[in-house]
Amino acid sequence: MYAKTILRNIKRNTNGWLVLSLIGAAVVLLPILSIFISVFQPPNENWQHIKQFLLMDYVLQSIWLVSFTGVFSVFIGVTLAWLVTAYQFPLKNFFRWALVLPLAIPPYIAAYTYSNMLSYTGIVQKTIREQFGITPNPHWFDVMSMEGAIFIFTMFLYPYVFMITKAFLEHQSASYIENARLLGRGSFTIFFRIVLPLSRPAIIGSLMLVIFEVLSDYGVTSYYGVQTISTAIFSTWFGMYDVESAVRLAAWLMCGVIGLFLLERILRRNRRFNASTSKARPLVPQRLYGVKAVLALLFCLVVLSLSFIIPILQLIVWATWSYQDVLTSDFVQLTLNTLSVALIATVLIMTCSLIVANVCRIQSNSFANLLSRLITAGYSLPGAIIAIGVLNLFIGSDHLLDRLYEQMGWGETPFMLSMTIVMIIVGYVVRFMATGYNAVEAGFDKMGTTYMNASRLLGYGITRTFIKVDLPLLKGALLSGAILTFVEIIKELPLALLLRPFNFETLATKTYQYASDERIFEASIPSLFIIAVSILSVLVFHRLGEK
Amino acid sequence: MKNYKFLSSLLSAVMAIGILGGCASSGQPETTSPQNPTDKKSEAAESAGEVNIYTARHYEVDEVLYDKFTEKTGIKVNVVKGKAEELIERMKREGEKTPADLFITVDGGVLNNAKQNDLLQPVESDVLNQQVPEQFRDVDNHWIGLSTRARVIAYAKDRIKPEQLSTYEDLASDQWKGKVLVRSSSSLYNQSLVASLIELNGEQQTQEWAQGIVNNMAREPEGGDRDQAKAIVAGLGDVAIMNTYYYGLMLNSKDPEEVKVAEQVALFFPNQETTGTHLNISGAGLSKYSKNKENAIKLIEYLTAPEAQAITASENFEFPVNPEAEKPEVIKSWGEFKAQDLDFAKLGDHNKTATEIMNKVGWK
Repeated sequence: MYAKTILRNIKRNTNGWLVLSLIGAAVVLLPILSIFISVFQPPNENWQHIKQFLLMDYVLQSIWLVSFTGVFSVFIGVTLAWLVTAYQFPLKNFFRWALVLPLAIPPYIAAYTYSNMLSYTGIVQKTIREQFGITPNPHWFDVMSMEGAIFIFTMFLYPYVFMITKAFLEHQSASYIENARLLGRGSFTIFFRIVLPLSRPAIIGSLMLVIFEVLSDYGVTSYYGVQTISTAIFSTWFGMYDVESAVRLAAWLMCGVIGLFLLERILRRNRRFNASTSKARPLVPQRLYGVKAVLALLFCLVVLSLSFIIPILQLIVWATWSYQDVLTSDFVQLTLNTLSVALIATVLIMTCSLIVANVCRIQSNSFANLLSRLITAGYSLPGAIIAIGVLNLFIGSDHLLDRLYEQMGWGETPFMLSMTIVMIIVGYVVRFMATGYNAVEAGFDKMGTTYMNASRLLGYGITRTFIKVDLPLLKGALLSGAILTFVEIIKELPLALLLRPFNFETLATKTYQYASDERIFEASIPSLFIIAVSILSVLVFHRLGEK
Repeated sequence: MKNYKFLSSLLSAVMAIGILGGCASSGQPETTSPQNPTDKKSEAAESAGEVNIYTARHYEVDEVLYDKFTEKTGIKVNVVKGKAEELIERMKREGEKTPADLFITVDGGVLNNAKQNDLLQPVESDVLNQQVPEQFRDVDNHWIGLSTRARVIAYAKDRIKPEQLSTYEDLASDQWKGKVLVRSSSSLYNQSLVASLIELNGEQQTQEWAQGIVNNMAREPEGGDRDQAKAIVAGLGDVAIMNTYYYGLMLNSKDPEEVKVAEQVALFFPNQETTGTHLNISGAGLSKYSKNKENAIKLIEYLTAPEAQAITASENFEFPVNPEAEKPEVIKSWGEFKAQDLDFAKLGDHNKTATEIMNKVGWK
């Protein structure tokens, strides 16, 4: 019966949007598979060197970095989410959305900002020298280290955990928590016995984003001198001119990450987390008084200052030093470029996520599971490696096109697909599928299949059920997925660098142009533009969400 | 139960094949969209000239120069900016369809890498032969130098006398224990410096040298070249390996604190009595499959003419390759110096070995 449903389904939709969407999934999968395949190719002589001198150390350091960042960002993100949903304290409504803002700051910009602020010439040491007349030990301010990298990643990535967990707690947990409160449980017990286990899917989903982001980062780690697998990939590519080994390394990284999350899935399999949404209603917050209220306020304030207010103020100061030279009317064009590619890519990602997640939900077997891990795997790969996969795809299709023209006797192809904006957009889709997909998947997870089954029983087809029943229920998940994706794309750098067509600049590439030359003051202007655009989009989405 | 589970996974497999099959044809429907080809065609026909650049050199002044070039010649300059190795990879994969006419980058080794990947072709121009001295051009003229920079030793004016300094090799000796500052081995500048030493002193000796540098490091490598200068003034170490132009940029920085730092350190040009100071080059290579060859050569000629050379030097404090060009005060104050007498191609030849050596000795 089940199989029949699928069959009927395929029959019904083969000519419709499903086919298109499958093509979309293919565009995402192909570059990833072209990287994955390198695992099976015989290694060259450099591989030995990499294994001997790099791998062990780099893998250990990566694990170290990922574990600490993961633990800290979950701690900060979940605690904050719990505070702003379960309690009432001064400025709480402000923190509810403001604590998401650090997402607007790309970690590599934060890394530059902090290291400069804390450097010998930076504001901190300078003030101590001039105001107090003492020269502090510069080691105290050494942010360019493993600890510094953990700090940067935690402070600028915790909003993933915060945002996703908060959305979950606000809508899903009310009945359990209120029952526990009625039964006389204290806050701590509720937090550890109920909130944490209950929000496991939300936490894991957001933690996955944090881990992926850390593993694929090259900007922060290379500047701070932290050796991760990503560093090894690039020192193989740029130092030994060995792209094959670099891609191979990336493929192994991807396998590791996919394995990790499949494992998590299996561990979670025998527990069901689908809450029936009919009972969902907002949690009524408890009011905090006295010391408790002050502590809650302080905690939120400290986190927000470190992760947003301080770096922004610093960037603004630098901007006042350099705006005469840097700020031109070009920035209008840069902003428009950035917005338009981000918008197109976000729409594509959300559409593709919806469709694939729906297909995977309907037939939830291990193949569907693997498929959903694979199409989101792009997020764990450094952008430049994905770019290689995308280049392969496009240059391949250019050659195909060439042959087609030849056979048809139309002469030379008049243009190359790889020189158009399509390539960079596909790159974004491959890289950021995960942010959109995870949100949609979490939404589906939360809903369960009850509504769908009911609707199907009552005679609606999959498509109609999807549009009439699933979509409205998914609105919240879609929105939060779209914000994350949109902001991610605005911040993205390495892909944009390698895949853009002629004369196409985004705000991120402009930032890179200055930062790569260690011109951090000049880089502050495009950085602030990126941040402003991200904040505005977060606010716009927030508004939409409230409606 | 079992049966339909099997069936459904079979179906999914079929679907997956469908996905894979779909992609093969996916290029075509997208590409046959009608407006695009005509657009491009008319564009190409209309503009009498354009030149397409893949560049890994991100100087602000480059854009000013491209604009001036367009103003002067009417030739439109199209630019893709990126990282050198990535652009090479892109050109390699694009093959003869590559739209790139020029490949511009910093580092002789990388330029040579492009040449060895068969991406470049000889430039034939009497103007260039006359404007750019032979040592700043590829032996086969596959690429032409645009500017050079030296990698030198910066030292604390208050603690170190220039007499104490002599050579790169000496920095590995025991007297500098815990005093040497240098950035990470992932920096191309360091890779090329080590590559040059491999060429001059041999692999074995260079590995010992690199080991010595690692032993003498004041701290684990971190940050960029400017950060090393700052670390000197902060008292973390006494000497740092850095590029000349960063010093010029710091002296002219918008941050008064950076200017102060630059004023407290001085530059020493090492190996004057022996093999010469390590010099590196930025240059432009002519793409093997260039479709606008003449325009590309015109642009290189323009960039190496005294006017453009002086502009670059005054904005970025690199040494002009054209001896006729006017130099800014900072550069003049450094005076003449003896540079390594090496074919820049050697930097590329030894790059891999250099990276391996630094990995082996634990140069982070």
